Amino acid sequence: MRLEGLATGLSGLDDLTGCGGLPRGRLTWLSGELGQGWFDLGLAVLALLSRSLPVALVDFEGRVDPGDVCDYGGDLSNCWLVRPRHPEEGWAAARALCEAGVEICLMMSATWAPVGRAAPATLMGALETGRGVAVLSGGVTLPAEVTPRVALEVECRRLAWTRAHRDVSGLWLRLEVARSRMGAVGRGCRLRIALPRPYALQTGVVEAELWSAPSEELRLAASG
Amino acid sequence: MSGAPRLACINFPHLALSLAWRAHPELRGEAVLIGPRHRSGREVVLAASEAALARGARPGGEWRQAEIACPEAVQLPEDQTAISELRQEMRLVLQDLSPLVEWVDDTLAYLDVRGRDLRLPTEAALASQLGRSVQRLLLVPPRLGVGQSRFTAWVAAQTAGPGRIRLVPSGGAAQFLADWSVERLPLPDSTRERLRDFGLTTCGDCSSIPLPDLQRQFGPDGLLLHRLCLGRDRATVSPWRTPPPCGMRRVLAGPVEDTEALRFGAPELAGGLAVELAHRRLAAGRLRLLLGGGDPGGEFWEQLYPPAPVATEQELLPLVLNLISRVRRPVQVIELQALDLVPPPARQHRLWSVGGDHRDEIDRAVARLHERFGEGLVWRVAPRSGHPGDVPEERLVWNRG
Repeated sequence: MRLEGLATGLSGLDDLTGCGGLPRGRLTWLSGELGQGWFDLGLAVLALLSRSLPVALVDFEGRVDPGDVCDYGGDLSNCWLVRPRHPEEGWAAARALCEAGVEICLMMSATWAPVGRAAPATLMGALETGRGVAVLSGGVTLPAEVTPRVALEVECRRLAWTRAHRDVSGLWLRLEVARSRMGAVGRGCRLRIALPRPYALQTGVVEAELWSAPSEELRLAASG
Repeated sequence: MSGAPRLACINFPHLALSLAWRAHPELRGEAVLIGPRHRSGREVVLAASEAALARGARPGGEWRQAEIACPEAVQLPEDQTAISELRQEMRLVLQDLSPLVEWVDDTLAYLDVRGRDLRLPTEAALASQLGRSVQRLLLVPPRLGVGQSRFTAWVAAQTAGPGRIRLVPSGGAAQFLADWSVERLPLPDSTRERLRDFGLTTCGDCSSIPLPDLQRQFGPDGLLLHRLCLGRDRATVSPWRTPPPCGMRRVLAGPVEDTEALRFGAPELAGGLAVELAHRRLAAGRLRLLLGGGDPGGEFWEQLYPPAPVATEQELLPLVLNLISRVRRPVQVIELQALDLVPPPARQHRLWSVGGDHRDEIDRAVARLHERFGEGLVWRVAPRSGHPGDVPEERLVWNRG
């Protein structure tokens, strides 16, 4: 069965998935350890889509500043923020919002707490009904009940920080498909995220420099 | 921001001549005399075309003598009102490219081109744009020179042909001026005569002589001569000021070197400008930051072009911070100007939104979630206006569901 993709507008990421975007009606996982870029990539993608679509952000650990969505150029009036007190609440809210018509639900957590079997199952049902996309962002392992339901796993790896004005202004990321039901496992791309900074005119994923990581930055990353 | 002074000298035919050529294009290339102008009981020539100059007419010279020297010249009266209007128009064109413009007379102007325009990143690009703008207005090609001092820039403009630009790199002035005749230096006649007597004919001859020797021979003129020959004469302009169409100006208690301190004042500048723009119902297509160090000639500037016209504080603030981040020297006067004013763009965020139909349904789902799990699960947040802090609770307005 060929899956339909929800185009993020980032050609690097959209080409990677094999369906022209994040697979609709399916679960996508941006995996990686803390500090590997999944956090900012997730927010940047959410911000990009919030300009034209209703989006939801489930912040399991309460570490997201929703102002960052705004700083990445997103439209907060299109964004519903969920701050669950228990993991079950977060999964239930994601299911309800996806069912109601939210196009992309970003669920963020560095470590995933175990959930019951029902939570991911009902979320999958809601996704299939609403044709939305759920993106789990963060972590290197998922609860056993969730893992088999992931259609696409994109592994995030930070290559290097970019610096400006004696400050960290962004980061280079390497994305690689670690698991996919659409094929194309092992495909990768490299992109740069410009962090929201007062001096930065452009924030979010900067695609113009997709394949032009400065060699010294990569050397830094290799040595660091 | 570059610290080395860079001046552009633009030399163009007298405005009266440009007006005459506009009205009578057939007179281009012909001998034309504009005047006479009455000065101290004398009738003098206001302007003369190249052909008339070649025949001996001189601007400021006796009108009668010019008539004799150039009997076939077309004589046109001066139109003071039209000249004044064109002068104003020309000043605005120059000021559009650099906020620091010195209008010397109706044939010559200096601009400080040290500042940076992101669309015209190089000096050559800025100078080309300057030349094009002036040519578009006057319909005659100007001469342009860029150098590290007024004299260097002026010589560069004189040696460039009409419609040409000559750029003298910083540090290359002495070499560039080496062949320039001392006869054309702005020095008293007596000094020039003595230079001739010494057999010093070019700037290169003089620049090799130590300064104490020049001062011993020529007194204060020796110092001036030394500076002129090495391109170290005055490197500042006395800018012609006009109130910007829309701007904010702040004078600080003393020179501030710390960028952080300037950044602290940025929200006030951005907020003030946003209020002014809102009052006029306009948005800025270009922002210019003019900074003064407190001493004359210590001014410098930066300008940038936002991707779309900006009008609100939220839009202005990052741009202002961006401009301020480039400051590299003490600042006492800070002026933020909004240029290229246009009606603000309409903001219809959800015009193309495909999710608009689901909004009510999502709100109902949120209400059900609150009923089930209690208030505080789902939040709607919006940016808070004013000058909120960095903490999310302060910078955002939080609404339940």
